[in-house]
Amino acid sequence: MHIMEGYLPAKHCLAWYTVSAPFFAAGVWRIRKILAERPQARMNLAAAGAFAFVLSALKMPSVTGSCSHPTGTGFGAVVFGPAVMAVLGAMVLLFQALLLAHGGLTTLGANLFSMAIVGPWVSYGLWKLCQRLGWSVAVSMFLAAALGDLATYVTTSIQLALAYPDPVGGFMTAAIKFGGIFALTQVPLAIAEGMLTVVVMDALAGKVADIRKVSMLAGETR
Amino acid sequence: MTLSIDQYAQLSRWRERPVLEKALLAIGMLLLAISLPPLPGAPCIIVCVLGVTLLDARVPLRLWLRHAVIPAGFLLTAGLTMLFDIGRHGLSLAPAGLSTVGGLLLRSCAGICCLLLLALTTPVTDILAGLRRIGLPREIAEISLLMYRLVFLLLDTASAMHIAQAARLGQRNRKQQLRSLGLLLANLFPRTMDRAGRMENGLAARGWNGEFMVLRRTQPLSPLRLTWTSLLLGSVLLVGSLFS
Repeated sequence: MHIMEGYLPAKHCLAWYTVSAPFFAAGVWRIRKILAERPQARMNLAAAGAFAFVLSALKMPSVTGSCSHPTGTGFGAVVFGPAVMAVLGAMVLLFQALLLAHGGLTTLGANLFSMAIVGPWVSYGLWKLCQRLGWSVAVSMFLAAALGDLATYVTTSIQLALAYPDPVGGFMTAAIKFGGIFALTQVPLAIAEGMLTVVVMDALAGKVADIRKVSMLAGETR
Repeated sequence: MTLSIDQYAQLSRWRERPVLEKALLAIGMLLLAISLPPLPGAPCIIVCVLGVTLLDARVPLRLWLRHAVIPAGFLLTAGLTMLFDIGRHGLSLAPAGLSTVGGLLLRSCAGICCLLLLALTTPVTDILAGLRRIGLPREIAEISLLMYRLVFLLLDTASAMHIAQAARLGQRNRKQQLRSLGLLLANLFPRTMDRAGRMENGLAARGWNGEFMVLRRTQPLSPLRLTWTSLLLGSVLLVGSLFS
C-alpha cells in the first residue's frame, strides 16, 4: 500500500526521508562491497529489482475479490537479505512512481520506510526465527511473507496517523481508524501474499535441492 | 510489452528538452504543493501544471485521465477515514473533518498533476542521468539502468506465460489463479537470473567496465524558458503564501 503523491505535508516527507536515509546508505555500502568482490553480481541485483517491479505490475487474486499486486517484500527479504532490499526497494518505488504513477516522489521516503525497511526486516527476522525453531519451510515462509506485509500496512497506518492525528482522540484514535479501514483490504491481501509466496517457494524447490538454499538462485548477491 | 507512461514519455513533444528545465517546473511545483497551505496554493498549481501539460506538452487528456484516477481509491478510503469519527455515540461526522479532507484532496490532486507532468515528458533513463549528476552513486545508477532494460524483457515473458496459462484454463477460479501466479513467478525468477547471467557474460566479453555511455540528444538550456518557469513558480509562491 503506497501513500500517494502530495498526501503527506512537507515536514513529514522530509522526516521520513531522513529516517530512511541511513538504511539506504547502509544498503549502498553493502552493494558496493558485494560489487567490489564480485562485479558480476551487478546484473543479478538489477534482475532482482526488475523482478520486483514486474511483480508489482501483476494482478493477484485476493480473498475479498479485490485485485491487487503482490509486494514481494517477504520473498525478497528471504532471498536477498534485508539490507540490500532497502536499495532495491527505493529503485522499485521510483520506477513505480515514474512508470505506473503509483506512489509518489515526495512520499517516497515514507513508502520506502514501510515497504522496503520495516517489511523486509520483519519478514527476515521471522524467517530466521521460524527456521531456528525448526518449523517447516511452508509455515515459516507463509508467516514471514504475510506478517511482513501486515507490518508494512501497520507502518503506513501509523505514518498517516502521525501526519493527520484525530482532532479529538489524537494520534492513537487516528492510527486505529486508519488501521481499521485499511485492514479490510490489507489483511486478505497479506494472507494471499503469504499463500502466493509459499506456492512460489514450493515451485522453486523443484529447481533447488534444498529449499533453505533458495538464495543461491539469486546468484551472488548475498 | 510497453508501459503507456514510458511509451508516451519517449514520444513526448518535450522529449529533447533538458531534464533540468522539466524537473525545475514539475519538482518545484510539487514542493510548493506540499509546503504551501492548500488554499489557494493547490488550485493555482493545478491550473498552471495542467495547463502546461495539456497545452504545451500536448499530453492527450484521455491518457492523462487514465493515470490520474489510479490513486483515487487510496484517496477515497483515507479521506473517508478522516471524515468520520467513531466514538461512544457510534459513527459521526468528524469536527473540522471536511475542511481538512478538502484541503488534502486539493493538495493530492496538485501532487498528481506535477508527478504526471514529469512522468509523461521525461523517460526514466533521463531522470536517472539527472539523479546521477546530483550525487546518486554510480553503481546504483547503473543497476537502475539495467533494471529499466530488464523490466520490459520480463514483462514480455510474464505476459506470454500469462496468456499460455489462461489458454489452459489456468485462470478459471480464484484458487487456480493463485496457483498459476505462483507458478508464473517461480518460473520467471530463475529465468530472470539466468538471463541476467547471460547478459553479464555478453557485456563482460565486450569489455564493459560498469558504465553505460549513451548518446543523448538534448537541446541546450533555454534561458527564456528557465525565466518563465521561475516566474511561474515565484508567482504561485507569492499567491499561495499571501492569500492563505
